[in-house]
Amino acid sequence: MKNILYILFTILVFSGCTYEKVGDAKQEAVQPQIYPDYVDVTIPVNIAPLCFCMADETALLIDAVVSDSHGHTLHSQGEESTDFDLDDWHTLLSQNRGDSLSVTVSAKYDDGWHTYRPFSFYVSTDSIDYGICYRLIEPGYEVWSKMGIYERELSSFDERPLIENTQFEGCVNCHSFNRGNNADMSLHIRGPHGATLLRKDNGPFTAYNTKTDQTLGLCVYPYWHPSGRYIAYSTNNTNQLFHSAHPNRIEVFDDASDLQVYDIEKNELLVSPLLKQDSVYETYPVFSPDGRSLYFCAARALPEGSHQLDSIRYDLCRIDFDPETGNYGNHVDTIIAASAQHRSVSFPRPSYDGRFLCYTLSDYGQFSIWHHEADLYLLDLSIGESRRMDAANSEDTDSFHNWSTNSRWLVLSSRRDDGLFTRPYFCHIDAKGNVSKAFMLPQRNPRRFYRERFLSFNVPDFIIAPTRFNGYKASRLINDEYRKDMGVRTLSPL
Amino acid sequence: MKDLRFLCTLLFGVAVVLFFGMAYPHHLHYQEQYQLFLFDLGYVWEIVKLPGGLADLLGRFCTQFFLFAWVGATIIGILLSVVQLLTLRLTDWGRLYGLSYVPAFLLWLFLLDENALFGGVWAVVLTLLASWGFDKLRCGWTRRILLVIAIPLLYWMAGPVCIVFFLLQAPRPQRIPWYYGLFILLAVLPVLLSFYLPVSADKLWFGIHYHRYPTVFPSLLWSASLSIFVLTLIARGLHHWANASHRIVATLCSFGLVFAIMLAFVWKNTNSKAEKVMQYDFMARHQQWNRILETINAEKPNNPIGVTVQNLALAMHGLLPDHLFEYNQNGISGLFPSVERDATSPLPTAEVFYQLGMINVAQRTVFEAQEAILDFQKSARCYKRLAQTNLINGDYEVSRKYLTALQKTLFYSDWANETLPLLGDEDAISKHPEYGRLRQMAYKEDFYFSDHTTCQMLQNLFLSNTDNRLAYDYLLAYCLLTGDRETYYYVTSIKQ
Repeated sequence: MKNILYILFTILVFSGCTYEKVGDAKQEAVQPQIYPDYVDVTIPVNIAPLCFCMADETALLIDAVVSDSHGHTLHSQGEESTDFDLDDWHTLLSQNRGDSLSVTVSAKYDDGWHTYRPFSFYVSTDSIDYGICYRLIEPGYEVWSKMGIYERELSSFDERPLIENTQFEGCVNCHSFNRGNNADMSLHIRGPHGATLLRKDNGPFTAYNTKTDQTLGLCVYPYWHPSGRYIAYSTNNTNQLFHSAHPNRIEVFDDASDLQVYDIEKNELLVSPLLKQDSVYETYPVFSPDGRSLYFCAARALPEGSHQLDSIRYDLCRIDFDPETGNYGNHVDTIIAASAQHRSVSFPRPSYDGRFLCYTLSDYGQFSIWHHEADLYLLDLSIGESRRMDAANSEDTDSFHNWSTNSRWLVLSSRRDDGLFTRPYFCHIDAKGNVSKAFMLPQRNPRRFYRERFLSFNVPDFIIAPTRFNGYKASRLINDEYRKDMGVRTLSPL
Repeated sequence: MKDLRFLCTLLFGVAVVLFFGMAYPHHLHYQEQYQLFLFDLGYVWEIVKLPGGLADLLGRFCTQFFLFAWVGATIIGILLSVVQLLTLRLTDWGRLYGLSYVPAFLLWLFLLDENALFGGVWAVVLTLLASWGFDKLRCGWTRRILLVIAIPLLYWMAGPVCIVFFLLQAPRPQRIPWYYGLFILLAVLPVLLSFYLPVSADKLWFGIHYHRYPTVFPSLLWSASLSIFVLTLIARGLHHWANASHRIVATLCSFGLVFAIMLAFVWKNTNSKAEKVMQYDFMARHQQWNRILETINAEKPNNPIGVTVQNLALAMHGLLPDHLFEYNQNGISGLFPSVERDATSPLPTAEVFYQLGMINVAQRTVFEAQEAILDFQKSARCYKRLAQTNLINGDYEVSRKYLTALQKTLFYSDWANETLPLLGDEDAISKHPEYGRLRQMAYKEDFYFSDHTTCQMLQNLFLSNTDNRLAYDYLLAYCLLTGDRETYYYVTSIKQ
């Protein structure tokens, strides 16, 4: 309905308008400064049109011609932004899979037209998943306003809410799918109606109480086992402190945390003494693609009452996991000893093909989204070597990320736009680990969209199809008092 | 007779204007500061896409004028008079003329609650306008078809109080089959919508934006709207008696009686304590330091916010340490009240942090205050302050976001346009009387804020810049209030 109104309005305003001819343009030797920076990016064949604006806001008109080597062209002109026709865009991209498109940009200023040196879009042969799912929330401190979980189709501009906190009292977070498949899905609700909504194999959702007498607290940071039988969780005692004079506004830190795996079939949290040590903060568990390892971050615990937060540094660790029995291995391996280099690992995410593991590295702590120095690193699991993903990183925060199901695209959360509001970016990673320049989630009028949206895109994750999440049913479940309790089984190390 | 009634309505309207303009102006300022009305299609769409959206939109549009209390009071006066006039037109009231003021008076009572939203009043007005319009239509198929269309449309525009429109169609027996049909339509509507709208079902029944608190049932608003139906029934039932002789005298008597009783109710329910708190908040917001001193000298504040603002004004005049004990004090909470998640305390507290140069904590307090607005609106006052704190901190792109939004407002766009050129202009900022001073006063060394380390926070602030007279005065006041001689002598020795 909203789109229809916009279209009608646009037709009304622009009826009778035609493109202004780019005449007597001054030829510029440089490539254009555009927003978002889409210059020379690698894009999936099924991505929505990469509309853009001139970076400086004094341009009166922007004109772009996208052309391929076969003579096909796509033209768009606008006052604020280019707006490529959706169908024509997809046709052009599908005709040029594995090839480059040339983009010639002209901008009209007070002194007339300027035409810039063309740049390229490289159309990858690797397609991207149907969409992404994320939470939209203001990047705040402790209190939240309106927020919700949303899905966005990547081949168009359509965004839909799954659930919003106007439907219940509280907040919603940590949406999680099994490799982008919403048949296995979990969702946390916090506040007076707190619960974890969980469904398996497209069954109905059940509302769980994940807090037990034998574990630290609620289950957080879920990650599905590839079999769909288990979910790895951490349980964290999380706090916040606020800087008085530091570019990073907030420190989010744990003063206790453990790991546990939930066995859906047996309704049991599987707990191991190795992952529940008072002297260690364990967090962010993820299963390896074969389901036989559990990667996680671990840091030496601070002495009680200490606020030396800059001394909490997490290493990347691994423990064996037996999916048949649910048992853990008998020792923990340190994969990346980041603390030895005075750095800290967060958000480990192995690619689904088992080749790489992407993680965030910051100076300290585990909540790297609030650290301007945070960058993404890629660990090649076949040789055990890590390197910084320079092409995808920026000078500002680059943090939470997830892999597409074909393991060729990464969605990453970056604050490079303004230093505060998190935006989703995408980069391509080929089989050899070559990383392409990251590009921002396309919008029809990106400057207007991102400037007017006072919300951060939180925890972006790929989805392979529309979630068809029934917000009405979910809110009834949340507002209902019933919660299913979880059992606990403490396992001895094998 | 008509002139007399006009005079009565005028008297009522003037009473409303005088009340809100003189006795309740800061309630209007309070309302205004918890919303951000944008002249933007996307913003309008977000409001009108929900049931009651048009009433909500009109309410928000009017509320932006509450920045100027007398304008706000006039708007309220006009709208409540319109409610009375439309109620009057529903039937022939005769001797019961005074009863036509009851719904408007109940709406007046409703508006005494600072969290009652003006959209609720507009919902009643829209409902009455629809009823008035339908009463002009002749009976027949056109009217029936229009009625079927009007029920969902009015529900969408005004929200569930439009049930009054439906009830007002009831007393005509020839329409009984239609009446039941409409009843089913009206009853089914919220049930159906609850499947598709991201709103809890109870809000579809009782109203989404009638009250700021989502869990509060706006009983006075509902009483006002239902009273229209009940009183009309009474007037129609007593038609013969009501239209007997001596109508002028009876009319005046009934008006006088209702006016006196309802005015007494209004006066009894007036929250003058809250008005006082809001007055201090208003004066701090507009940095009316002289006016604050005049106010506290006339009547020493005895509420926590008043004491906080009083101390800030004393400090702004360099009077705090010397005159601290001439006024009521509230311990160190009188300097820095602990930030509660209520609607009144965070903003004046943030004002203290801001003026002292504690920019980050001011920013957090303002941000949290805005996030805590229970109907999820944004605040023009908060946007303005967040644009300022981000500007002072050098976060220009974030500041630009807030300023760009404020450019779409009626009363803040000039300020936003004046401030935008400052972004990135270090020279201009350092020369700016407010931002330049606050940058100099800001912390140089980083540490973590805590509610329990007030002394340390002030010491660090003072040691960051010993020219920060405000920090020095606050630190001395802290020492005097806590009896901390050691720090007192230490700080004064540094200053000397």
